[in-house]
Amino acid sequence: MLTVSGVVTLAGSFRLGPLDLEVPGGRVLVVLGPSGAGKSMLLDTVAGFRSPRHGTVCLDGRDLTGLPPDQRGIGVVFQDAALFPHLSVRDNVGFALALRRQQRGRGGAVIDELLARFGIGHLARRAPGSLSGGERQRVALARALAARPAALLLDEPLSALDQPVREELREVLRTTLHELAVPAIHVTHDRDEALRLADDLAILDSGTLCQTGAADRLTGQPTDAVTARLLGWLALGSVRTATDGRFVGDVPISPAEHGGAGPGTVFYRPEEVRLGGPDRSSPPGLHVRARILDIVRTVPLARVLLDTTPPMTALVLHRDLDGLDGLGGDVEVTVPRHAVRVITDSAPAPSA
Amino acid sequence: MTGTASREQRRWSGSRVSRGLFPALLWLASGVLLGFILLPVLGLVTATSPAGLRAAVRSGEIRDAVLLSVQDAAITAVVATVLGVPLAYLLARRRFPGHALVQAIVDLPLAVPHTVAGIALLFVFGRTGWLGAAAQATGFSFYGTQAGIVVAMLFVSAPFAVNSARVAFEALDPNVERAARSLGASPGQTFRRVTVPLAWRGVLTGAVLVYARSVSEFGAVVILAYYPATAPVEIYNLFLSAGLAESASAAVLLLLVALATFLVLRTLASGWLVAGARPRR
Repeated sequence: MLTVSGVVTLAGSFRLGPLDLEVPGGRVLVVLGPSGAGKSMLLDTVAGFRSPRHGTVCLDGRDLTGLPPDQRGIGVVFQDAALFPHLSVRDNVGFALALRRQQRGRGGAVIDELLARFGIGHLARRAPGSLSGGERQRVALARALAARPAALLLDEPLSALDQPVREELREVLRTTLHELAVPAIHVTHDRDEALRLADDLAILDSGTLCQTGAADRLTGQPTDAVTARLLGWLALGSVRTATDGRFVGDVPISPAEHGGAGPGTVFYRPEEVRLGGPDRSSPPGLHVRARILDIVRTVPLARVLLDTTPPMTALVLHRDLDGLDGLGGDVEVTVPRHAVRVITDSAPAPSA
Repeated sequence: MTGTASREQRRWSGSRVSRGLFPALLWLASGVLLGFILLPVLGLVTATSPAGLRAAVRSGEIRDAVLLSVQDAAITAVVATVLGVPLAYLLARRRFPGHALVQAIVDLPLAVPHTVAGIALLFVFGRTGWLGAAAQATGFSFYGTQAGIVVAMLFVSAPFAVNSARVAFEALDPNVERAARSLGASPGQTFRRVTVPLAWRGVLTGAVLVYARSVSEFGAVVILAYYPATAPVEIYNLFLSAGLAESASAAVLLLLVALATFLVLRTLASGWLVAGARPRR
């Protein structure tokens, strides 16, 4: 169990925290947040590259707060891989073992096993400079695991990679993290990556935690605007209460729950927007007729822009585009109740 | 129409010779400066006869002076590197109060006229200087000895050792060193196994610059240690006593020796001799 309690870290005028996080062994906590949210600073604090002003970092009951990074037993994988450019791939992976003078014999077998596991055995003699981005991250991962870390930190390790390589490595990472069975913190600004890897999610914005909890709960029921946006909800507009119900602009809504009586913003999930006849299986949270303004054939889902007030976007399967009348046609627009939420403006951030 | 288009195309497709006033000025100014550097060297070399050069080599005084210069410059390069690298590392990696002031102090010798540096050094290392007097009591002297020559050379050339190493350390990705730490390497192990192997070229370049600066030092050396005469001092003496032709032979000799060592070390530092061995990043 990796525990961060009451940690405050300062850098110039930027303040991270106070933060409380718990990562049990074998679980992956993904910290999701925009650039400049303080994600890397959090990892630096846990790894020991920065000292927190307040608070403690504990691993399996041992207080690490005052220890230098080399005595923490925490592995780190960096965004740019940060391989040792003067060492071969094999010597990079064997670095930790060489420090303990174990790179031969049984240590050598460990290195071979790691090289094979990450599919980089054929690169063993190559210099890091000659590797592709994906290969570099495989080496970085193998190098970190060779030290048998008691926890693993990943600082946007996939961000610098091309899309296909990134997806391939995501799977490698997912398998590795679950096999490793140590607490892992993975930091990213990429929603897909976060949802693919996370057991738990923590949403970080401007140095403070917005929400933490199980990934599916946060995705389904965000309680603050930053979390909602980062997890794919789109803001529709401010909610307005009239005698005949509640509206956003001209669109009538009936959300499942209302986040308080104060002013709020309506959010919806664009991939839950249904075009065509209403879905009779569940009561709609939003129902309106609208003209199709534009269809953008993005992948994997196409975007349909709707002429509602305020305008809405639907993410639909390409095969469902055939059933639509095309541009200028009128369609029924329905959003199920669970995919419409009113989030109170400047809501306090409750944590799990 | 087509003519303009193809000319445009040529320009953008990166033809080797660029036209226009600005490129012409660039080439002209560069040529003037290169000529200005090379012409005096050419003049010196052509003014010297092989016989004169042989006489210079045979002259014990000139030979001793050149050897002394080379020897003391080499010692200075080693001392400057040993003392300069830790400071360079601190400047590159640590943020501390007075960082800018420390950097300014490092650069100070570059701004001090060398005769002024020599006089200032006398107050510390001269026979009655702060350290010089103490050394004198133990029978050791900086004044008029090799130690004095090294002190003078070190003062004027130390900034090159520090700055060159600092630039090399700054160019190193801090995450590479952090990765080493996270893998269990102590600060000392990280420095030895990661930092030094990645920055040694910069450190060596600094040593080469220190050596080159030291071999040519006259002002500070002549004040602190007029005797034993280093090559520049000996050449100045020859120039005053024997005249231009005689001093030119000694000058060419020093020039050859200095250039030869400089080129060898410089080649080593920038990888021309060991091309391909340099790890790609």
